[in-house]
Amino acid sequence: MAKYVVTSQKVSVNGTDVSNACARAELVLNAAEVETTDFGSAGWTEVVGGLKSGQLTLDFHSDFGAGAVSSLFQNLVGTIGTFVVIANGTAASAQTPAYSATALINSFTPVAGAVGDLATFSVTFPTTGAVGYATA
Amino acid sequence: MSVDIQAIRERMAVNLATISGLRTEENVPDLVNPPVAVVALEQIAYDGAFQQGLTTLEFNIFVVVSRASERMAQRKLNQFVAPTGTYSIKSAVESDRRLNNLVADLRVRSVTNIGSLQLDDQEYMAAEFAVVVYV
Repeated sequence: MAKYVVTSQKVSVNGTDVSNACARAELVLNAAEVETTDFGSAGWTEVVGGLKSGQLTLDFHSDFGAGAVSSLFQNLVGTIGTFVVIANGTAASAQTPAYSATALINSFTPVAGAVGDLATFSVTFPTTGAVGYATA
Repeated sequence: MSVDIQAIRERMAVNLATISGLRTEENVPDLVNPPVAVVALEQIAYDGAFQQGLTTLEFNIFVVVSRASERMAQRKLNQFVAPTGTYSIKSAVESDRRLNNLVADLRVRSVTNIGSLQLDDQEYMAAEFAVVVYV
């Protein structure tokens, strides 16, 4: 395993590869802090892990072409989507693990950008259910 | 989308050639024959999206006019640097922003260095247009 520069992540939405329109992908996995501090904690707080959750953030270049990313998201707001992000590769392996998640597509910004800018949009979705991890 | 730099330069020259009386060069020539617009590649930014999904190319278009009559030269240059009009470089280049589907989009961003230019002991009037191309 080696350190790597981010260039070749694969991102798919409901089975459609949108990698070449995606400039940033971030999947955050969290566990809630459940406090267990008591009189025996010797003056320190104590916590244990609670319910897990995830959040997926993606930055896209807008494209309204047929089947392109802006068209893809147009009818998905309010639905549960299936997302797969492969770190630094196009197929799952030990060095390029694939994370799969279902997430609530709760927002979409079809139009954004100032004059002269490349049109882009960012989305952040909460995951629902378990986040999968595969190395093959 | 594949990136064919030579084809992009040639297509940009085609757009420029819609300006009546303006010569075009898709490559930098040894000698200039004004009025002429020369397309030159300035820089490329790779990896704008995953899996080389976006490459950003920056071109300069040098427009050179004869300075035999300074007043005429400045008038000619004023027409070329105007944002719109029959002789507008910006309008001509952006007349087909997809360059016959070679690129995703382009924009003539600015014009700078408007003034005198010396080439081979000859004085010209010139302007430098910055064009950003997304592929």
